[in-house]
Amino acid sequence: MELLKTALSRRRFLKASSAAGALGAVGFGSGALTRLREAEAQVHTTTFETRITKNICHQCPARCGIDVYTTNGRVHAIYGTTEHPISNGKLCPKGPLGTYILYDPDRFKGPMKRTNPNKGRNEDPGFVPISWDEALDTVAERLNHLRDQGESHRFTLAYGRGWGASCAGLQGTFGALYGSPNVAIGHSSMCSDGSIISKKALDGVGGYNAYDYANANMLLMFGVGFLEAFRPYNNNMQVWGYIRGVKVPKTRITAVDIHLNTTLAGSDRALLIKPGTDGALALAIAHVILTEGLWERPFVGDFHDGVNRFKSGERVDPELFEEKWVKGLIDWWNLELKDRTPAWAAEVTSLYVRDILATAREFGSTRPSIALFERGAHAHSNGVLNGMAIHALNALVGSLYAKGGLMSQMGPSYGPMPVDAKDFMDDYAQNGPWKTQPRIDLKGHKDGYLLANNMLQELGPNSLAGHPYKLDTIMFYQTNPIWTAPNGQVWEEALKELFVIDTSPFPGETAMFADLILPDHTYLERLQDAPTYPFQGWPLTQLRVPAIPPLYDTKYFGDTLIEIGKRIKGPMSDYYKALGDTENVIRHLAKGFEADPGDNGVKDFESWKEKGVWYKKPYVYRYEDGEFRKWDGEDYGILMTDDEVKAEIFKTSSGKFELRSGWLEENADWIAEKTGRTRDTLMIPHWEEPKHPGGGDLYMVTPKVAMHAEGRGANIPVAIATLQPVLGGRSTAYIEINPRTARERGIANGARVRLRSELGSIEGYCKYFEGCRPDTIVFPMEHGHWAMGRWAKGRLPEHCGEITVNQSDRITGQCSYYTTKVSIEAV
Amino acid sequence: MAKWGMVIDLDKCTGCQACTTACTMENNRLPGENWQDVLFYHEGTYPNVKLMWFPRPCMHCENASCVSVCPTKATYKDPDGGFVLMDYNKCIGCKYCQVACPYGVRFYVDERAIVQPDIRGVFPSDTDRVWDPPYKGPHDDPARGIGIQPHGVVSKCTFCYHKVSKAPKGVPDLDEDIPALKEYVPACVRVCPPKARFFGDLDQPNSRVNRLIADNRGVRLKDHTGNKPQVYYLSGGATASVPSLRSSRASGQA
Amino acid sequence: MSVTTKQVGIMLLALTGLLVTGWLVFDSLSTHGHAAFNTDNLGIFWGFPIVIYDYFLLTSTGLAMVATMAILFGGDDFRPIIRRAVWLALAGLLGGVAVLMLELGHPLRALWAIPFSFAFSSPLYWKVMAVSFYVLSLLILLARMLKPDWSMADLRANAVVTLVLALSVTAIAGVVYGSQSFRPFWASGDIPVAFIFESLLGGLAFIIFFSYLAYAFNPAAVPASVKRLFDDRLTGLLALAIFIHLLFVVARMSSGLYGNVEGLQVWRHVATSPLFLAEVFLGLLLPLVLLTYPGTRIRPWAQIIAALLVMNALLIARYEYIIGGQLVPLFKGAWAPDLLSYMPSPTEWLLLLIAVFLSNFVNAFGEVTLKLGREGSAHP
Repeated sequence: MELLKTALSRRRFLKASSAAGALGAVGFGSGALTRLREAEAQVHTTTFETRITKNICHQCPARCGIDVYTTNGRVHAIYGTTEHPISNGKLCPKGPLGTYILYDPDRFKGPMKRTNPNKGRNEDPGFVPISWDEALDTVAERLNHLRDQGESHRFTLAYGRGWGASCAGLQGTFGALYGSPNVAIGHSSMCSDGSIISKKALDGVGGYNAYDYANANMLLMFGVGFLEAFRPYNNNMQVWGYIRGVKVPKTRITAVDIHLNTTLAGSDRALLIKPGTDGALALAIAHVILTEGLWERPFVGDFHDGVNRFKSGERVDPELFEEKWVKGLIDWWNLELKDRTPAWAAEVTSLYVRDILATAREFGSTRPSIALFERGAHAHSNGVLNGMAIHALNALVGSLYAKGGLMSQMGPSYGPMPVDAKDFMDDYAQNGPWKTQPRIDLKGHKDGYLLANNMLQELGPNSLAGHPYKLDTIMFYQTNPIWTAPNGQVWEEALKELFVIDTSPFPGETAMFADLILPDHTYLERLQDAPTYPFQGWPLTQLRVPAIPPLYDTKYFGDTLIEIGKRIKGPMSDYYKALGDTENVIRHLAKGFEADPGDNGVKDFESWKEKGVWYKKPYVYRYEDGEFRKWDGEDYGILMTDDEVKAEIFKTSSGKFELRSGWLEENADWIAEKTGRTRDTLMIPHWEEPKHPGGGDLYMVTPKVAMHAEGRGANIPVAIATLQPVLGGRSTAYIEINPRTARERGIANGARVRLRSELGSIEGYCKYFEGCRPDTIVFPMEHGHWAMGRWAKGRLPEHCGEITVNQSDRITGQCSYYTTKVSIEAV
Repeated sequence: MAKWGMVIDLDKCTGCQACTTACTMENNRLPGENWQDVLFYHEGTYPNVKLMWFPRPCMHCENASCVSVCPTKATYKDPDGGFVLMDYNKCIGCKYCQVACPYGVRFYVDERAIVQPDIRGVFPSDTDRVWDPPYKGPHDDPARGIGIQPHGVVSKCTFCYHKVSKAPKGVPDLDEDIPALKEYVPACVRVCPPKARFFGDLDQPNSRVNRLIADNRGVRLKDHTGNKPQVYYLSGGATASVPSLRSSRASGQA
Repeated sequence: MSVTTKQVGIMLLALTGLLVTGWLVFDSLSTHGHAAFNTDNLGIFWGFPIVIYDYFLLTSTGLAMVATMAILFGGDDFRPIIRRAVWLALAGLLGGVAVLMLELGHPLRALWAIPFSFAFSSPLYWKVMAVSFYVLSLLILLARMLKPDWSMADLRANAVVTLVLALSVTAIAGVVYGSQSFRPFWASGDIPVAFIFESLLGGLAFIIFFSYLAYAFNPAAVPASVKRLFDDRLTGLLALAIFIHLLFVVARMSSGLYGNVEGLQVWRHVATSPLFLAEVFLGLLLPLVLLTYPGTRIRPWAQIIAALLVMNALLIARYEYIIGGQLVPLFKGAWAPDLLSYMPSPTEWLLLLIAVFLSNFVNAFGEVTLKLGREGSAHP
């Protein structure tokens, strides 16, 4: 019997290998015949000890605290941390995927260098393992050489999902000490700068908002994906369960999007709007709020005599209105709003007048109410205007810093770094030739994007064009621009010319163009700090504690950076020697808690490690009855002066919420020149027809879906199987198409289709969906990877980025992912 | 002698599938072979379209048809707790229970993988089990269908027996928000972000699950089959919804 | 070439076929396991192997019914087919059970786990128990029949037992499906009865076909007694059985097409499928005509063709029924189609060949060694 067993398993092994090769299919041995040997399944383990370590999830920016369960050295379970204010013991569907990421069989196992000098999609990089010393020395040698040549600006460090002071937080200092304006360039313009900067134009803060949903009675969401992707997704759903299932009165929700998703399905009112026209809807809502006298007078102000003079089409004399915390309301009305009637908006948005009116009345009369928006609304050429129009609604109903409203996020009480970088700046760092170089992405440059925060999507194209110059060496942290940038084909060409260093633990499209791979730990192996993303305003920061020692020969990115720093000539190396390693950095950060212990008793590194999170409630600011107040320890008892409001709340030149944006007005010349907007109105939220490049007849929108595990979901079989439950799920993600649109083009349900823009074409399978607008094609941005791993490879639909035109909002720099128009045909 | 039951509030369910992925993690499920699934339906014509969804675990029926049809008593009703469990060492893989379950919640372990390449081939087992992933859980009890399956058997949801059975005796409800109880709560209930799921003892009149069923018109799925599920649904009509028997997805199909 | 030589030829051919297909199936199953089948966890739990198993099982019980009823009620005229029918019943059963063994997750475990489970609530438990006793009674019947001087009168008691068991197996096989009330395509109280008539129909068709095969399809070699039995009795019975079966098919189809219960929509799919049309028109109506039209009724070729067509029609019927009852996916969400689709995989087709080759090998072996045509005597 044993002989048979051996023979069978050997045979199965051989067969399996050949079958797997030939068919790319099953290929595991489990013959029904082997069961002719009957044996009972034995109980494998009876006693074990399970250890729980604190960490935070990595599958989106929300930073949910997680408990990681490890038994006998294997991580096997992840649950939300009960005592963590964001996760509260819960998880979103991406949370449990962590173990698959840790044990991903396609991971990089250690540092490697490229041996094939040719780069391209079909070129095997020929990676060979090297030692960390060799890898780090290679980088340092290049950087030292560049610096010696006075060309240190030709080194760029580009990053995506930075987490905290011990990783992304180290980069800026590195750039300052080394001497490059391009260290580091973040991906915020490919994320959601459109919301940050359009808000900045009005309130001067320039950050994502924190929201007090639990106390709101009405939420108006524009292109948010509240129940799919909006962070913190996990907490959003906890709040949803409360405001929709427990709270009295139940919070009213209107959701605006371009296809029917779970958020719209769960809302009281779902508005399927024409892509890029959200601003028109917001303007009409503002119009109704004003004409029907629904605005919040203690915040906005009022007519001197209390008589409402806002009448459609009629100008208002500014002298008659006294503004309180806003600036420019009457200008806005006279220049724009007076004509923005629901009937007008119905034309633009394709919505019904009755829905616009009902939404406006409900939003204007149900307090507290919040208008929130993200990429769906602002990833268009008119994004800043859409964003401003929507954010302005919050001012009209007085939700800013109000209970049940929105505010801005505070940072944690971190201690200082072990040493001050300023003491380690040599002459080159202070006055080197790099000081006069523009950033490679032309952020902050009048030829580029003067008002943007980052322009990562321009980096590849600019370097390729040699405008403003060509880079020499580029290092990536948590970003894969060949795949994530629109028209990533240009990046492929750009990276062929450069020495590329990738630090991802995983293979990816950008990594395939790398000359050096310096793989990071995966998140369950890291010691890493991460202050919260905007959540509920009060400060919160958390810690990743390694659940197990690293599985492979990898190195935490923060330590990789420090180790490179130690190898740079001059005092810079002394700085990094003084830092030591990231654990030392984190220990110093934690010293800040000694003077300011968290609500959960976290007061030093050890207690932080044990609890995983430091936080301190409550939020300090509160708007109430026309005044801003600060927390005095027991209540919001400290009345803030106008100057304090200007310094801490509305950081605009007027210290008010500027419906007529002073910041845009200051840059009116540049804006008028680059956008063609008229000087009279470019500083107020107004309607502008979006520009849709691509040359097709259908809008292509590619949202993030609930199962999009950042950076890795496409290669996780469980995520693949549950990605698009509305239509697909299991193994295929479908392109949503309205049946009418499909039939007009002779496309059958389930057919393979080709989407085409002026950049090229991609293919995938479509499915009829009545919840999709007839003028719009929708599919999740997820598949189409060609170098991410065995499960991602070749999976349809192909990558939307290859037919997405690289067009950005000139003001915010927001990459307009959802604005390209494509055509569709059956294959 | 508890009779464990689950209540799912469809008004709160956001269709996120956290229950599905948590179950997959806790019970080493194969990709797409979801013991706990969320099913989506849509009907109507643009712009008036209805999208609904429906979370569906095993119902752990009082009068389970899968149990009565099993020719070897491999699937059985645990008298202490009311779990419907599998004994892998008795199962002959005839699949009659799959055929007989009106809820479609049983899975033969040797079917072709839904997501290719087959992950079982990536993490092969050197014993008689179907596969051996490095992230498999430590619990292993083939007589109750817990742990990685051997070949040739049918698997199913255990109501997380390995957790629930260790709960303190006499507890009326297993509430994940009570730190002392959270480790005994089924994975799908524990993670549910909008707290749409509740787990408790149906035999205790004062348990919260009983109160929810009574106060919020709890219904059982396909009650006419006589299976008497121990999973109850609450629905006020919004958000998720119980699908009609004959789904009318005509417009969505070729 | 003598008839016996040709039987040896059939036997060797079947053996060769069995070895080749057996090797291919072993190859496929030892590589892919049951993933080599096109069944799935969406809803097609029982695929073609179960169809084959039930087809061969019910053919076996049908042959047993024909044989035992012939002993009990048929009189001397039926003597030429009785031994052959009983042996064929055994051969068919072996083919079916072999396929079941390859389909089950744990075939060996099934051998002990089912009988000792005392799972009285399970139709499958009773089916297995009934099959076990049925096999036993067949063997006893056969052992007593193998005496050169066997007589029908001696076997009456055995025949009663075997008939009851054959009816039980068939009826319980019907209950396995008919009891699944939430699958209205299957569920019906008359399913066991329908199964019995189908079984009988199969038994008649098979005995006609295999009797001709025993004489290598050479009408001249067929003994007069056999020919007389066919022309006078069996063709009429076969036609009647076809007619009754047709009534069941039409009755179930009509209520299926007009019914509105979830699951019955399968009938719309089935009733328009080419396979079903072939079953009804080629497999049932055409044989009915051949067997009733005076010009063809007694023609050996017509009898052979009619029997063969009916044998195929019954396989289609078994397929449509078992698969059809599973085509509506149970709570699978928007991604699942309204109806599942299923096609037997190559390995599943090979299982059919295994059953065919194995049964034919056993049958031919019997023909060669046991003189199955020996008529025995009516009286001691």
